[in-house]
Amino acid sequence: MAADSSATPEKALSVAQQLQQLNAARKVVLENASYYDRIVKGVLPIIGRNAALELRRWGAEFLAESLATPVLRMGEKENMTVAVLETLRGLIEGAGEDIIVLKASVTAAASAYPVALRWIIHNSYHTESWEHMSAIKSRILQIWDGAPVPVKLSCIKFAQRVVLAQTVSNGMEQKYGGLDISLNMIPPNHPLLDPRQLEAEATGLLDRMLGVLQDNSSDAPLVDATLNCLSILIRTRPNTSNRILNTVLNFNPLKLANSPMTPKTRVLVKSLEKTTRLFLTHVLKRDPNNPMAGRIQQYIERLVRSRAEIFDEAGRKRALADQAAASYGDAKRQKVEGGLAQVVIPPLGPGPHTLAAVFTLTNNLGLAGFDATQLPVNLAAKISVRALAALDQQVLDLAVSGIRDRLTSLHAAAAVAAAATQPAEINAATAPLGVDEDDDDYEPDLTPAEDTEQILNKLDNAPPEEPIEPTADAGATLALGPFKLPPPPVLDPNVAAKLSQAAASRVFGPLSSLKEGAPLRKPKAGINRLAASSYDRDSWLTLITRLATRSTAGLEDVSSGIKPEDAGTALDRPRMSLGDTIREMLYNYILEDWRRRIEIAVAWLCEEWYNDQLIKRSGSDAPLHYEKCALRLVDGFLSYITAQDKVLTRFLAEIPELSRALLGKLKGLCADPTTVQLALTSLLYLVMMRPPVRDIALDTVADIWAEYEDARPLAAKYLVKWRPGFMESQTRGTSAPANNVAIAT
Amino acid sequence: MDTANGSEGSSAPVQNGEPEDASGFKLKFCTVCASNQNRSMEGHLRLSQANYPVISFGTGSLVRLPGPTVTQPNVYKFNETSYDSIYRELEAKDPRLYRANGLLNMLGRNRLIKWGPERWQDWQVGMPRVKHEKDKGSAGMEGGVPDIVITCEERCWDAVVDDLLNRGSPLNRPVHVINIDIKDNHQDASIGGGAIVDLADSLNKAAMEEREKVGAAAFDAGGAASRASFDERVPEVLAEWQQRWPDLPSTWTLSWF
Repeated sequence: MAADSSATPEKALSVAQQLQQLNAARKVVLENASYYDRIVKGVLPIIGRNAALELRRWGAEFLAESLATPVLRMGEKENMTVAVLETLRGLIEGAGEDIIVLKASVTAAASAYPVALRWIIHNSYHTESWEHMSAIKSRILQIWDGAPVPVKLSCIKFAQRVVLAQTVSNGMEQKYGGLDISLNMIPPNHPLLDPRQLEAEATGLLDRMLGVLQDNSSDAPLVDATLNCLSILIRTRPNTSNRILNTVLNFNPLKLANSPMTPKTRVLVKSLEKTTRLFLTHVLKRDPNNPMAGRIQQYIERLVRSRAEIFDEAGRKRALADQAAASYGDAKRQKVEGGLAQVVIPPLGPGPHTLAAVFTLTNNLGLAGFDATQLPVNLAAKISVRALAALDQQVLDLAVSGIRDRLTSLHAAAAVAAAATQPAEINAATAPLGVDEDDDDYEPDLTPAEDTEQILNKLDNAPPEEPIEPTADAGATLALGPFKLPPPPVLDPNVAAKLSQAAASRVFGPLSSLKEGAPLRKPKAGINRLAASSYDRDSWLTLITRLATRSTAGLEDVSSGIKPEDAGTALDRPRMSLGDTIREMLYNYILEDWRRRIEIAVAWLCEEWYNDQLIKRSGSDAPLHYEKCALRLVDGFLSYITAQDKVLTRFLAEIPELSRALLGKLKGLCADPTTVQLALTSLLYLVMMRPPVRDIALDTVADIWAEYEDARPLAAKYLVKWRPGFMESQTRGTSAPANNVAIAT
Repeated sequence: MDTANGSEGSSAPVQNGEPEDASGFKLKFCTVCASNQNRSMEGHLRLSQANYPVISFGTGSLVRLPGPTVTQPNVYKFNETSYDSIYRELEAKDPRLYRANGLLNMLGRNRLIKWGPERWQDWQVGMPRVKHEKDKGSAGMEGGVPDIVITCEERCWDAVVDDLLNRGSPLNRPVHVINIDIKDNHQDASIGGGAIVDLADSLNKAAMEEREKVGAAAFDAGGAASRASFDERVPEVLAEWQQRWPDLPSTWTLSWF
């Protein structure tokens, strides 16, 4: 319909009127994307090869816009894209076509290419479309070299899209704009498309694109345009990454700076330099682990330095010529660079150097010859402190990096020299090649025969430049009389206890700062693991539990012999042993968040139990802690327990030993109807899964049955199953339950 | 029918609003600064007054405006806060302060230009901007793709170029990204606005020459290659402009949408 209304009056209307109608049609699609298909197809007859120039321009630009629109998804574009290929081909193949038409048509072709390729992948019978697309491609690649710059720019972009579509992707790109169309999508047995051939073509095209960089062209629009479309290739097409980065790193954007600086070359040099630098910075930012990161970093630094030199020099010249022009250039940067330029660190010449020479930054011979060791030490200290306090951070950084550069260059040069002096040990075929390649990177006249280490060793052995005696002398004159520390105050047992408690609490300090061990990632170390080999939270807790259980084991016989019954309860007893102090804190630590720290409790109890076994075996009468601690822990968290706390079941299942007393604590839970189920299922679990304690667990259930009315139905259910005969005996003697309980237990 | 309606509806504003547009080609511009408040909006206004299609953005993470002290800036979200609401909020907070430091004046100007500050990084290039008819400079920007991006600060230029690298150039459209260093105060923004229009005029002249001359020589193939195209002339035009505006250092690159 849209086509009719625009097409019928074509002959009657002037070009201007037609354009007005076309613009109106464009507004319609911009407002409602669902018209795209119809309007684009309707417009095609008006804008073809034989239409007026204005109409062709409008048409080509409209096609470029429509095929690229982000409003439509890839699938929605297919129909439209395939429909325009023939018209597009006509526009692109027209001899002597207008630049603007060509530029827009090639742009449209770049957007069409991935869509058409995807369509052909799924519709291989439609050879005609692929024929059009292939013709467009070969025509574009043919006119690329000779085309005027705007068309050339579009050709570069077209080639980039072809490379993108015909190389293997790592699947990292956005899912819009056809950036995700890649070689991965083409099946190996496709009747029209041969993946190997397409990939080979892509490799060739990439080389052709990079040609402008390889030639070190200073044609800024072309170089900028190339650089600015390479990043997605590096990011998402791993096979292209090395090729591109190597080429860019060999490109010198400042070449043009050697020619006379006209205002235009200034703009060009600045543009090339910044575009290259931003491109590499971007690559580095997106992929800091890139194997070439080191080289990129160096390249960027070198670029910044050269740029500073070029523009700084230019700035100085201008400043002399014209005051007003002095502020030209990047004012903010110049200031900083000017400040830094005051500290120039000359590289060292060849030959061995003294350590003093390595660290001498001044060019002033008099100053360099000054022997700092003649200064009294206190004066030197004062001067150093003052100087460091007043020193600009950047100057210090510059100086430090300067010294570092000197040392590394000495080191590198020594390595070269070493390689040169030992030719016999090196493969004769490769050695000269390597040296040749490295020539660019090394100062050719820097050939000291020793490496830094050797120099430093020698310096250590040689009579010192900065003689030690004066220092000693200075020390002697300043020496104070012998210094004695005042005797420590007499230790009061209470203070000592407090201090040891403080010491114990410091043991818990790291827990708050150590990270929770990531349970998912942690590999199981198996039986061979060491309990506390990694410095994480878990190993620290292991350490704490062992400190509590074993550190003083066997040393406390005496005190325990005197008043063993106090040990667990006397919290404020002044002479608590180290073990008990830590136990106390461990207890508090677990109770702070017992639901999450139940594992720690289990680990602790395991350690206590193990330690008790050792004590029992040794036959000593040292106190046993396991039972005490377990009861205390259970008491501790039973008062907070709710029906949802399944951790109780787990806790009871995992601790090494269960006693009647311990299980008896569960009975208390049955006073509260909400926790009856929890208590009984925990016991049932023990009955089922821990046969050694089955009897005492069942006894507890029986006790519960007898004592708590509310718990009876559930308890009875378990008893019927696990202690057959019990219920019968109960129901027989309902009149005297107490007796039966006594019998049952 | 749709087309007929559309043409009636849209032909009227073209005739009324832009008599010049019929006569000549206009490059489409985009101005960018940190908060899309002062420098980019000055540029937006001046370019729209010169009848250029123009949109504007900020590259910062948030819209930041000076507050009572240096450490208490007024901070707003991009794309969600209108100039009008900021205006009313600041007027309620401290009318004297914000009138004295020029913020209310600036916001009052901005709310007449468009609804609110927009963030560059959130902008989807090529999304039709048909709902922005009331914005100044909206006529001609319906396609949502500018030819020239002008940033007002080096780090905004860096952000824009880096963001374009990030996006991966899905539209295949070349775009000239030009930075002009303008200090972030009202006076320098005003001077900068004039410089931006001067640059726009120079660039547009070069673009028009390309379209006219090539148009005339369209059918003899050799003629086209003999003279420089617009894309090639941009650095030259910028260099000439720089001579006229030596206090506003500039940077340029050719990137892709």
